[in-house]
Amino acid sequence: MKNNIRVERAIKNITQADLAKLIGVSRQTINTIESNRYVPSTILALKIAKVFGKPLEEVFILEDGD
Amino acid sequence: MKTKYLFPYWCKYLGVICFVAHVPVMLFVKLKKETLASNFSGAAEDYGIFSNHHLFFVITTLLMLTGLVLFAFSKEKIEDEQISQLRLDSLQLTIYISYILLIISLALTTGNDFRDIMHLFIWLPLAFFIILFRWKMFRNSRYTKEDAI
Repeated sequence: MKNNIRVERAIKNITQADLAKLIGVSRQTINTIESNRYVPSTILALKIAKVFGKPLEEVFILEDGD
Repeated sequence: MKTKYLFPYWCKYLGVICFVAHVPVMLFVKLKKETLASNFSGAAEDYGIFSNHHLFFVITTLLMLTGLVLFAFSKEKIEDEQISQLRLDSLQLTIYISYILLIISLALTTGNDFRDIMHLFIWLPLAFFIILFRWKMFRNSRYTKEDAI
């Protein structure tokens, strides 16, 4: 699964630390999700999508192998 | 994030205090034992449940174990699902390592050696867990720093 968090952050002009603070996780967690080293839970994914005001499918995209 | 079965963050410091406090108590007991042994060489030692020997063992072990348990199982400053995952992975690996070592020890030791190994296994799994979990946390934060550069 890939994601557009980095792009969405750039559009919204917020840092990893800002996003982490908004959804109540550590900056490391945002960083590992962005770099596809950690797949978030449904709750966390929904929270991230809510911050960007976009549907979940626009932020997280399934890949062929998933 | 709501977590079950974890102590509050401040318990980590209490754990360190308990663990550090057990060192002078243990040294004091060891020194006292040596003095007693040199003064009364050949005297039979009392090993009953309320004997000094057993009570000191209980006090030092309790302090050490309480310290390790509190340090190992207290929340991080920001507790989230990734940290929970790292904790779970470390715990699983700890159980594997500990039981492999225990099975090998069971096969290769007898009598007093076995008793010593069981004494060691009172705290060894906790120590393994703490080292593994801290290592995973350190590696995680190092990746983040590298990405930031």
